[in-house]
Amino acid sequence: MSKFITLSTAALACSVALSGVLGLVTPTGPAANVLLPSGEEIVQHINARDEGQTASSTLLMELIDRRGEKLVRKTRTFRKYYAAEKRTAIFYVLPKNVEGTAFLTFHYLEEKRDDVQWLYLPSLRKVRRISAADRGEAFLGTDFTYDDMKRESKVSLTDYAWKTLSEDSIDGHRCYMLEGIPVNRDIAKELGYGRVVSWVDTEIWMVRKTDFWDVRGEPLKSSFVRDIRPVQGIWTAHELEAHNHKTGHHTVFTFSDVDYGSKIDDDLFTERTLLRGL
Amino acid sequence: MISLLNVPFSVGCKVRSCLAYTSWLVLLGVLLQPHRSLATDQAAHQGFFDALIQRSTLSSLVRLEGAVATHDGDLQKLEVTYEPKLKIELPYRLRLTTIVRLRGDAVDKLEPGAPDQPEVAPVSRSLSLGDHITFDLRECYLDGTIGRTLLRVGKQQIVWGKADGLKVLDVVNPQSFREFILEDFDKSRLPLWAVNAEIPLAAVMLQLVWIPENTYHDLPTSNATFAFTSPLLVPPRQPGVRVDLRNTERPGPLLLNSDIGARLSAFWRGWDFTVNYLYHYDDLPVLFRELSLTPSGPLATITPRYKRTHLVGGTFSNALGKFVVRGEVGFSFGRFFSTEDPTLANGVIKTNEFASVLGLDWSGIEETFMSVQFFQSVLTERPPGVFRDQCERVITALVRRNFLHDRLVAELLWLQSQNRGDGLVRSKIRYELRSSVTIWGGADVFYGDKQGLFGEFTQQTRVVFGLEWVF
Repeated sequence: MSKFITLSTAALACSVALSGVLGLVTPTGPAANVLLPSGEEIVQHINARDEGQTASSTLLMELIDRRGEKLVRKTRTFRKYYAAEKRTAIFYVLPKNVEGTAFLTFHYLEEKRDDVQWLYLPSLRKVRRISAADRGEAFLGTDFTYDDMKRESKVSLTDYAWKTLSEDSIDGHRCYMLEGIPVNRDIAKELGYGRVVSWVDTEIWMVRKTDFWDVRGEPLKSSFVRDIRPVQGIWTAHELEAHNHKTGHHTVFTFSDVDYGSKIDDDLFTERTLLRGL
Repeated sequence: MISLLNVPFSVGCKVRSCLAYTSWLVLLGVLLQPHRSLATDQAAHQGFFDALIQRSTLSSLVRLEGAVATHDGDLQKLEVTYEPKLKIELPYRLRLTTIVRLRGDAVDKLEPGAPDQPEVAPVSRSLSLGDHITFDLRECYLDGTIGRTLLRVGKQQIVWGKADGLKVLDVVNPQSFREFILEDFDKSRLPLWAVNAEIPLAAVMLQLVWIPENTYHDLPTSNATFAFTSPLLVPPRQPGVRVDLRNTERPGPLLLNSDIGARLSAFWRGWDFTVNYLYHYDDLPVLFRELSLTPSGPLATITPRYKRTHLVGGTFSNALGKFVVRGEVGFSFGRFFSTEDPTLANGVIKTNEFASVLGLDWSGIEETFMSVQFFQSVLTERPPGVFRDQCERVITALVRRNFLHDRLVAELLWLQSQNRGDGLVRSKIRYELRSSVTIWGGADVFYGDKQGLFGEFTQQTRVVFGLEWVF
């Protein structure tokens, strides 16, 4: 753990130094007297974080409406990086009425290329091709979007213009406040966001909180990243929560059995595994 | 509902079904032999069962569903289904999956009495517990691997094709028509004892299927709610001609009369492709006719026989932006059709059939899914005396929308024959009450020409309601 803190601190030092040399940032807010790294640099740090070549976990999804009524889904999820794409497979375990439902997605690293997605529905006994969902569409009925899920803990450099606002702290962790504005109206509509402000941990380069505004500038939702701890040397969030301010609905994701070390067979990302299940 | 419980227990001639279950229990015992070898004392026995329980997962489904005919307000069904599914992880990376179904219907109009199921192989027939309750071994198969080849051996469903609700290549398993096509295919499909292997060959997957079971479509009896009356399925009786309907002739030795199939599938440049081949018995019997003159007048002796055909076809699908295009084609060599042409001595005619479905899905509106399909079946020659047209067309349209974070789903499905203008409109609203409890309500509306495939059931238009609990 200390190794990562050291590395992160060194990276921060480098980026601050770089910002100073280039004189890029004029910060505002409580830390106005301190030279802060530029938004772009912070994003680069976030995206440079190691996510492991492979990952598997158990994901418990709790969908809670404004009356407190809760729906629970449990999945096993797998992810593996390939040369040109990232493949993810999600297998529903609970509730029993959707057990066996499975998604397979090839997320192409090339930004312009559409993802390819298959869905297996046990009631149809068929794997069917589905169109890649709109990036701003709700992910499986939750308060996260497909784009939120696809990027995992990373953020897009091309969709937003990033600006460092100031420094703040979340639960005692020093953070940079980072503002992202979609680069144009079309992207904003695609994402469903008109503005985002993220709190980025200055030591581990993970986003701890994000506030989202819709395309009309009204508060939309807030997401929180909690229970961050290293797993096999990789900082990992074990709880994500999103509150929709408009609907009162919120979603809690709890990750367990996170594993970056085990080999994941290529066969897992195939139609036949979708069909037969884990 | 009380009538469901107070029925006499009559097993009938279902001994072979019991043999099938027993054989799987024996197999289970053999596979767990390493544990059984320890069974020299009670503790070892306990260990065996503990190990079995630890390796097992049991899930159960209870479904209550009712249907009321709108024209007279009578109940079509009031049904309770209990469907447990047991999975057991066995040594050598084997997994045994068993699904059974216990179904009771207080109304007993869909399958009046305890039908003989002559179309179904004895090993797969339902156990009738009186007139109202049936017990079925739905699926029972063993999954295993040999190298990278996946093997599934046992009673199973093998589903081909890309179409929804229409079948061109999804003909590996026959189906029950107790509710015409209103029952989900997953529930109406008749699982078959089969060997199913999936073998990776570089970028292509080869599936080989061997089905040593002669089970065909389970057709409703003439007194059932959804009994077929359309001349598309039942040749009309000729005036003045007596009919002697003989027992259905089933194919002979099992091994010689097995169905076999192969499918190659690949993903290439964004497209999913399959090439399919099936050498199988058509699941509808062909009605062979023998005309004779008797002292009491002309007599038609009808003998239903199952006939074989080669089916060659393929499927494709791809997502193009918010659209998904999908299709399947199938060419059947030498299918038999019943004909009224008196010049044909045996009353049947043999011709080829080309069937295809082209589907287009669109999900351009958030939480909304729309789909249209065009189905076409063309006979390569115009057979005289056959009621169906040389080219039969059906169009389908589906709209589905999710509300309340997918908790509520509303769906509207429309199917229409382009030849006779008859059709079916199905609407359904489903609400997830709890994570494991779902309720629904809807309507199935048949309309149009009574000689049509859908129009024959205009009197069966109904509203449905139900509840499903899984645990």
